Amino acid sequence: MPIPIIEYNRNLPPTWCMGCGNYAIHASLKKALSDLDIKPNGTLIAFDIGCNGNGADKINVNAFKGLHGRSIPLAIGSHLANRDMTVLADIGDGGTLHEGLDHLIQAIRGNYDITILIHNNENFALTTGQATATTDEEKGMYGLPQGRPEREINIAQLALGQNPSFFARAYSGDPLQMIEIFKSGITHKGCSVIEILQSCPTYNKEANPQWFAQRIEKLEEPIESIEEAKRISSTTEKIKTGIIYRDNSIPTFYEQVGNRKGVETQLVDEVKNYDISKLLSHLE
Amino acid sequence: MSYTSQMSQNRIVVKFAGPSGKGINTLGKIVSKSIKNSGFYNFAYREYPSLIKGGVASYQIDIANHKIVSSSRDTDILALLTNQSKERYLEDIRENGVIIYGKDELTLTDKEKEYIEKKNLHLLSLDTTKLALDAGGTEIMANMVLLGFIWRLLSLKPKALEEVVRETFKNKDVDMEAEISCVMAGYNCELAEEKLLKPILFEPNEKLDKSLSITGNQGIALGAITAGCRAYYAYPMTPATSIFKFLGETYQETGILVKQAENEITAVQMAMGSMNMGTRAMTATSGGGFDLMSETLSCAGISEVPLVVVLAQRAGAGTGVPTWTGAGDVLLAVNAGHGEFPRCVISVSNPEDAYELTQKAFNIAEIYQLPVILLTDKQIAESIFNTDELPKPIKIERGLKVAENRYEITDDGISPRWIPSEENPVMLVSSDEHKANSQSTEDSTDVIEMSDKRMRKLETLKESLPEPKYIGNKDAEIVFVGCGSAGNAVEDILESYPNIGYLKYQYLYPLKYEKIIELHEDGARIVIVENNQNGEFAKLIKQESGFEIPERLLKYNGRPFFIEDILDFLNN
Repeated sequence: MPIPIIEYNRNLPPTWCMGCGNYAIHASLKKALSDLDIKPNGTLIAFDIGCNGNGADKINVNAFKGLHGRSIPLAIGSHLANRDMTVLADIGDGGTLHEGLDHLIQAIRGNYDITILIHNNENFALTTGQATATTDEEKGMYGLPQGRPEREINIAQLALGQNPSFFARAYSGDPLQMIEIFKSGITHKGCSVIEILQSCPTYNKEANPQWFAQRIEKLEEPIESIEEAKRISSTTEKIKTGIIYRDNSIPTFYEQVGNRKGVETQLVDEVKNYDISKLLSHLE
Repeated sequence: MSYTSQMSQNRIVVKFAGPSGKGINTLGKIVSKSIKNSGFYNFAYREYPSLIKGGVASYQIDIANHKIVSSSRDTDILALLTNQSKERYLEDIRENGVIIYGKDELTLTDKEKEYIEKKNLHLLSLDTTKLALDAGGTEIMANMVLLGFIWRLLSLKPKALEEVVRETFKNKDVDMEAEISCVMAGYNCELAEEKLLKPILFEPNEKLDKSLSITGNQGIALGAITAGCRAYYAYPMTPATSIFKFLGETYQETGILVKQAENEITAVQMAMGSMNMGTRAMTATSGGGFDLMSETLSCAGISEVPLVVVLAQRAGAGTGVPTWTGAGDVLLAVNAGHGEFPRCVISVSNPEDAYELTQKAFNIAEIYQLPVILLTDKQIAESIFNTDELPKPIKIERGLKVAENRYEITDDGISPRWIPSEENPVMLVSSDEHKANSQSTEDSTDVIEMSDKRMRKLETLKESLPEPKYIGNKDAEIVFVGCGSAGNAVEDILESYPNIGYLKYQYLYPLKYEKIIELHEDGARIVIVENNQNGEFAKLIKQESGFEIPERLLKYNGRPFFIEDILDFLNN
């Protein structure tokens, strides 16, 4: 019998706007964990700062609400300590593309067995609507109502450019697809990057359900060629969702660590006094 | 009383200087180890520029009949691998000292000539390249000839040297017999006249063969291994990098996960994530990297997640003088990070300390759930010390306890902390201000209550910390107060001057200052000794105690305190 979804709830009122994509994202994540029979205390989520991060005390799993832009290395450090734990990083487009862009690239490169959920609502919402690298260049935002000189970053192209082992795109208005994507990402052995197109009715009114409905095309199967995956992810006229690309042949970071091959225990099980006398003989 | 250089009679000092990247480092290590294996204590100090080839590098080995932890400024034998390296060191040679240089003429200024005459220095041109070729070696083995020659000047038996040379090159692609022939060609060279000899006349201590040649950073790495640190997150920065080297090179034996991170922020975030998950992890850096870690210190502070960070200090702000020593980050360690949160700052001064205090750092970080900053500096980090034995391992204490609320309000400030697992309740830690049950809060009463709880840990911790260590005669008239390598030069003169004492600090924050005031009230002359420009530790003492240390001995030219610096101060 799967774990009842209520077990993942904390009895606290949410603090998001009406219509915020975070409601469906949280519900889908809880459902995915429940379907996979991953216990609340068998999960750890490293939360970033932003509206998504304000969900840290709204879900009943082990959680660490850390700093802006740093949830990915925090998740990696947690994962390496105990690989029996299901570890996710929960971060926004601002944290991913601005404060901590290096971490996304290095996480994909290292192929750690974690899942990165990127909430892309195309703005810094918690600080009341500044532009991020996914905001339309010309759109007026807080502080810069005439738009900005920089071009946008396409998260899919950025991630696919690093040869990821798993990249998917979900939409907060389609929880059923989101649940399946989350389940695939969590069970994938390696670094699963999931971009979630998240509705933000307060600061990104243009991207309303009708706007998404006109553009979204669901993929049934991942694209086999990474070049093709990049190509189909590049347009904004048609937005592909689903598992865009997957490569199960890339080894995970831990599998490649030279001195940990064949070691059954986790680092958390190994804290004890170690005898250094053999090492000292090198210094005599 | 005069603080003369009678100290110099207790030491023989050899220095190699030459272009960086020409084997100075290897020479220094071989000499230091061979001297120890011959039964003599030594302290080996390395100077090098922040570049790979060119510039002047040196290795200085101070030899004594007892354990020493600092360098002299002046040398007895100066070996110049190229003549360009003379400017820096020519004026720091003792009476009757020897200068060995290569086959090219050593051009001297009038001032230098005068100095050489006044000090009765002996100059000797030694064509080490020719001697190497004649002995069947190659040009690159010229350093081996010099090694043998110096060994002869010290009047030591070549066996220990030969063994160390063989050990050093055993896994390298070299013609071992030719290397040894070159060592012996230097040793048997007829130019080693009587007047050049600087024989070591101390009684050799045979047990030293089994003692350790160890750097401060190796002490930290070994302490981490002993303490059950299972993950090390690295980003290179001098002088912390050799901790990474030691842990990486021994990882097959230890099983420690060694991960080179993309930057210091990543390294410290990973360490914090691993510690929160329930293992022990560490990272190390120098000032610049530590600046980048500051925000994470603050995060660990409010989230009450254990963290151990090594801050290996070097000289200067910005890039500064990156391969030289200093202690200008004392207040950085005490103050880094936004907001107010409790922390512990510990200072090491030698490998034994480093070994023991690294283990303590983990216990404190876990029991009190706060960031612990382990301060060291380049002089400790990279110099080679002789140690008869490391202290006994310290029992691991973690303070783990499963409870309902992760941030329970307690009298001693310490809340329950447990390891996240399927056997334990769900655990939420948060850098948002939070209630006892981890829920975020902005309620004014909650904020005060939780801030007070956290800060109570500092008082609890302070009570548990030992007093600073007093070394020297109880009735000393002059007492130096310090920490780190600055005090090592003081430690080395205590035996010769019974009127001097040293109050050595290992735990800098929270600070126990009562002993300083007690010594002052008993009439001792109190002097702070610090390797920085503004007396940072003295400022900390004043901030905590209100007591302003009346006299300051400061040095901030990138060089460590030499024993002469202490003696000169006392004479003036």
